[in-house]
Amino acid sequence: MFSLISFRQGVSHAFGVPALGLGSSMFAFGAYLKSSGFDLFQSFASSFFTFALPGQFVMAETMLAGGTFLNIFLAVFLTNARLFPMTVNLIPIIRHSSHSKWKYYFLAHFIAVTSWFNMFAVHKQLQQQDKFDYFLGLGGFLWFNAVICTMLGFSISHLVSHEFLIGLVFINPIYFLIMTVSNLNEKKLTTSVILGAVFSVVLYQYTPEWSVLIAGIASGTLGFFIFKKENNDS
Amino acid sequence: MTANTIYTAIFLATCATYLCRAMGVFSAKNINTNSPVFNWIKCVSIGIISAVISKIILFPSGILSETESESRIVATIVTLLAYFLFKKNVIFGIFAGVTTFLLMNFYF
Repeated sequence: MFSLISFRQGVSHAFGVPALGLGSSMFAFGAYLKSSGFDLFQSFASSFFTFALPGQFVMAETMLAGGTFLNIFLAVFLTNARLFPMTVNLIPIIRHSSHSKWKYYFLAHFIAVTSWFNMFAVHKQLQQQDKFDYFLGLGGFLWFNAVICTMLGFSISHLVSHEFLIGLVFINPIYFLIMTVSNLNEKKLTTSVILGAVFSVVLYQYTPEWSVLIAGIASGTLGFFIFKKENNDS
Repeated sequence: MTANTIYTAIFLATCATYLCRAMGVFSAKNINTNSPVFNWIKCVSIGIISAVISKIILFPSGILSETESESRIVATIVTLLAYFLFKKNVIFGIFAGVTTFLLMNFYF
């Protein structure tokens, strides 16, 4: 049964810093789409249906660079492949027998880095039966906010300076960084993060398209196995 | 660039993105939170996110590529320092990082 209280708590969690962190970049993305020849409805559609900023950028950049439709599909798939392990990780946290399976396929649309980190930060304080509706409020509000901010960026970005827009874009990676370090409560996670950053830089020199994915899988696997004892103890 | 091209690109990006999420839901059905696989996937997820962050900061595309890499690196360090110095205050961390970034790029 739907819990309005949990849903509202999720919305309340998203309202503030998480919405600002994501919204600022979506605003800049809206401005970027306008300068790239998109119209307002196309900008709306991109955030409404995709809701994964790095992939949205890659979609526009690949298209503007003259890439084929196959190029666009593969580039976005590779860029957003992080959503696969993130979803595999989040669904067991949220799962409850009162929800039918198809609902998780709907809820998955709201899984993105910001909602994922923020859900992990609080899930232990929530009752299992409340987590689905809480995440629906948290992720759903971030999605709604992303769509609105994209349209705002498209519509009113001419009112702000170019420097200010660049500053807004920079908020996103440093917000992700803060979210990442705030979740480092186990050695295996700390190791995975440090190795992921290092491997990504090294691999980028050889294979820019695959560097993130290979770095993440290699660093996570090493972090997990190096601290296998910690895994067994926990 | 026609409207049809843009709509097709958006459609393909949506399919590629949702495919990752849907495969995640499908694959998660037999995984429980106490299993080693769950812990391994958490490590991989956070490793990928870390790799994404370092790629955005060190090898950005779009308008961030117009900025100096030194400014992005210094601002990232300032963000972390401010975050920990101000009792893990996210707002202070972001404010200090963005201010440093803008000052280094546009005023020095």
